[in-house]
Amino acid sequence: MPAPEAVRVAIQRDADIVAARQRGREMATAAGISGSDLTLIATAISEVARNILAYAREGEILLSVESRDGRCCLQVIAADEGPGIADVELAMRDGYSTGKSLGLGLPGARRLMDEFDIVSAAGAGTRITMRKWAR
Amino acid sequence: MTDGYNTPPAAQLTDAEVERRRRVFGLTAEDLARIAELRSAVVDHRAEHTAAFFDHLARVDEGGDLFRRPELLDEARRLKEEHMVSLVSGDYGRAYIEQRARLGALFGRARIDMRGFLSAFQMLIGSIVRRVAELHPTDTVAAMDRVVSIRKLLFLDISIIQDVMIAEREQMILNQQEAIRELSTPTLQLRDRLLILPIIGLLDSFRAKQLTENLLRSIRDRRAKVVVMDITGVATVDSKVANHLIQTVAAARLMGAQVIITGLAAEVAQSLVTLGVDLTDLNTVGDLQGGLEEAERLLGLETRRIGSA
Ligand SMILES: Nc1ncnc2c1ncn2[C@@H]1O[C@H](COP(=O)(O)OP(=O)(O)O)[C@@H](O)[C@H]1O
Ligand SMILES: [Mg+2]
Repeated sequence: MPAPEAVRVAIQRDADIVAARQRGREMATAAGISGSDLTLIATAISEVARNILAYAREGEILLSVESRDGRCCLQVIAADEGPGIADVELAMRDGYSTGKSLGLGLPGARRLMDEFDIVSAAGAGTRITMRKWAR
Repeated sequence: MTDGYNTPPAAQLTDAEVERRRRVFGLTAEDLARIAELRSAVVDHRAEHTAAFFDHLARVDEGGDLFRRPELLDEARRLKEEHMVSLVSGDYGRAYIEQRARLGALFGRARIDMRGFLSAFQMLIGSIVRRVAELHPTDTVAAMDRVVSIRKLLFLDISIIQDVMIAEREQMILNQQEAIRELSTPTLQLRDRLLILPIIGLLDSFRAKQLTENLLRSIRDRRAKVVVMDITGVATVDSKVANHLIQTVAAARLMGAQVIITGLAAEVAQSLVTLGVDLTDLNTVGDLQGGLEEAERLLGLETRRIGSA
C-alpha cells in the first residue's frame, strides 16, 4: 500500500488552478491511475477550483491517495468558506449557472469522476469530495 | 492600496509568528521600557530620520522607480514617518507588523532592491542613534543601552520588510511570466488570407482571453478568411476555456473567417464530451497537416467563388 500522502493547494488566483491540476495528475499517478483518466481528473479539478475562485474567491484543494479493500483512489476535496449554494440540486443541473457561464462544472465533474459528494448551504461554504479509482 | 498593489503577506504573519520574531531578536520588557524613553529623540525628529533614509536612496541612485513615481514616493515618505511614531509607541503587535509589511510591499513594487534598502536603513539607524546619544550626553553606557534596545526592534523591522519584498518580487516574476506566455502566442501567416495560431502548453482562462483578442485583431488587420488554431500539447481544457474557444470561433465567423481546430487530444475531447460541452460548432481536424489541407480547400473554394462572381 502506498503511504497515504496528502497535498494541499491554496486557490487564490488563476495560476493556482493550473497548479492544482498538475498536482492532481501527479497524485493520481501515485494512486496507480493512468491514461485518459488523468485528463478526466485534471478537468474535474479545474472545474471545482474555478468555481472556488469565481464564487467563493478563495479556498483550497486537498488531494490524497486513499485505499479501500486493497484498491487505491485519488480523493479530491474542494473546500471554501464562500457564500455556499442555497439550492444544491438546482446547481447540479446541466446548464444552470448564476455566473453566465455554461453551467456544466458541477454536473460535469460528477460525470468525470467515480464518486462525487457535495455539501453546501447558503452562508455555510461549500465542500466537494470526489474520488476516482485505479482500474 | 492607493496604487492597487496587494497588501501581501501581512495576513500570513500570525500573532504567533510575530511573537516568535520578537523572541528571535531578543526584545524584552526592559527593551520596551527603554525604547519608550526615546520618544522625543525619534518622534520630534521624524522628518530628519525619514530624510536620512530617502536622501541616501536618491544619492546612491538605488531608489528603483521611487523617484520616478511621485505618488509612490509620497506614500513611502508618509509610511516612513508613521513608522517613526509607532517605533516608540510600545505596541508591536499585528498593526505594527502590517504597517511594516505595507511599506515593504511598496518598496518591492518600486523595485528597490535589498542592497539599496539595507544601506538606506543603515542611514536611518545612524540618524536615530545621533539623537539618542544627545539625550545622554555624559552617560555613554546609558546611551549605548538604549541604542542596543532600539536596534533590536529595527532589525525585527528589517526581517519583515525583507520577507515582504521577496514575496512581492516573486509575484512580479509570476506576472512577467504570464506576459511572456502571452507574447509567445503569435499568429503566423503562411499565405494570403490564412492565419495559423499555434497554442503551446497551458491554456488557462487568462491566456484564452488574450488569445481571443489577439486573434480577432489579426483577422481584421490581415483580412484573414481561414484560421488554423493548433492546440497540440494543451493537456487540459475545462468548460470555461472551451467556452472561450467556442465564443472565439463564433466571433471569428462574424468577422468572415472560418476557424479550424487541430491537435485536440483524444482525452481532452473525451473530457469535454463528458462535461457536456457542445462541440458541434467547432470544426476539428486531426493534426496540423490535415488542418492546413482543409484550409487550402476552403481558400480554394473562396477563390473560385470570387473568381466566378
Ligand atoms: N464553490 C461555490 N460556492 C458558491 N456557489 C457555487 C460554488 N460552485 C458552484 N456554485 C454555484 O453553482 C452554479 C453551477 O456551477 P457550475 O456547474 O460549475 O456552473 P458555472 O460555474 O458555469 O455557473 C454556479 O453558477 C454557482 O451559482
Ligand atoms: Mg463552474
